[in-house]
Amino acid sequence: MTISKGWLVALVLAAVAGPASAADPGCIVVQNIAELEQTVTDAKGVKSVKLVPAVKVVPGDTVIYTVKFRNRCDKPADNVSVDNPVPEHMAYVAGSAVGPNTEITFSIDSGYTFAKPEALRKKDSDGTERAARANEYTNIRWVMRHPLAAGAEGYARFRAVLE
Amino acid sequence: MTRSQLALASCLALVAGPLGLAAGTPAGTAIQNTAQVTYTVGGSQVTTPSNSNTITVAERLDVNVTLQSPPVSVQSGDTRRELAVRVTNTGNGNESFSLAMTSAIAGDNFDPIPSSPAIYFDTDASGDLSPADTAYVAGSNDPLLAPDAFVTILIVNDIPAGLANGNIGRSRLTAQSKTGTGAPGTVFTGQGSGGVDAIVGSSGGTSNATGEYVVSDVSVSNVKSATVQDPFGGSEPVPGARITYQIVVSASGTGSAANAQVDDAIPANTTYVPASLRLNGVALSDATDVDAGEFIAGAAPAIRVHLGNLTGAAGNQTIVFQVTIN
Repeated sequence: MTISKGWLVALVLAAVAGPASAADPGCIVVQNIAELEQTVTDAKGVKSVKLVPAVKVVPGDTVIYTVKFRNRCDKPADNVSVDNPVPEHMAYVAGSAVGPNTEITFSIDSGYTFAKPEALRKKDSDGTERAARANEYTNIRWVMRHPLAAGAEGYARFRAVLE
Repeated sequence: MTRSQLALASCLALVAGPLGLAAGTPAGTAIQNTAQVTYTVGGSQVTTPSNSNTITVAERLDVNVTLQSPPVSVQSGDTRRELAVRVTNTGNGNESFSLAMTSAIAGDNFDPIPSSPAIYFDTDASGDLSPADTAYVAGSNDPLLAPDAFVTILIVNDIPAGLANGNIGRSRLTAQSKTGTGAPGTVFTGQGSGGVDAIVGSSGGTSNATGEYVVSDVSVSNVKSATVQDPFGGSEPVPGARITYQIVVSASGTGSAANAQVDDAIPANTTYVPASLRLNGVALSDATDVDAGEFIAGAAPAIRVHLGNLTGAAGNQTIVFQVTIN
């Protein structure tokens, strides 16, 4: 897919929860980007890392998913939360979820419940309980700790390895 | 792998590993990701989905060749002696591999002479060269392997004449991805399974294994006989009768059989006669000690005789021991 230089406008207003309001035709524009890290060595042998679109990916590659969002209205947006599933065939990289001013929780049950890593427990086939592993996470949620001011931006990012 | 390559290859190994194993997510798999943002403005809650990202998994070109035969003992002048190797597709897409063998390898004592044909598929899975095995013909039956699948290949050589005992000759089988080889990360645009890109993996798209022939001009044979003596002066095998076993071991050829050892199990329903073990007429103690033999007691009783490095020049080695029928 091509990534345009400007912001993508949110195409669909899907008011899933609560009453839809015709007065808010999408204050927050959202862009979801998948990238790979490429290590480039210059003529002097100095290595630098740059992000390139994830187009050709093979098992073992690490993909960086970034959701960028911006409040384009003149009112603040409250209770901003970003939900992103860990894609099929990919394993979440422990500790890689980041997002400025956000509280991050994870789901291991396809998005029904979310909790901090230390609270995520799984039962083995023999009944013993253990901490869930990062590669068992199914969804990630970032919740902003304060409103997103008019014109302000934020992002929610994580890494996953293609199995 | 283009469609025309798939049509030419005639040997598809259908034994593929389950998805998600060593080779990874199959080439061509489309992985989709859509996020959503929920927020409240002016008292109303809104949920906005992001654009959907789709990543198509490219084909990683990887192969691993492993040696399946330990060093093979041969004699000067032997013909059509085989070594077995396994070629495994460790990439994540169906792939054809070209095979090549060479026996001109530096660092050994002699060059085995490739037979004609020199490469075979182990068609009947016997592990050795047999009439049912199909010869490999480059470009005609290059093996087409699914991810994680493997094929057993035999490389066949003749052994030159006039070699010395202990001489080693090496032979090597190399497999290469037909889509391409090169530095890891090299991209073959659109040439992967199903038309995705193919990218060379850490193996470089090529792998090889080298096997060894060792000239061992010795062969060992043994001849076992038994005589029965019953308590009544006859030779009926009745309870209480004594059986005397004799094993004659001999080596032939110009080499030596290193650390030759003879084990013979005490037959069921008999009992070893203590102190009856002899080598070349000399009594050997039943205990495991410095002499050449012992009796091993326990659930699987047996006698054991150590013959050292046995050569033809040492002549016949005669082992005798006795048991009684229970």
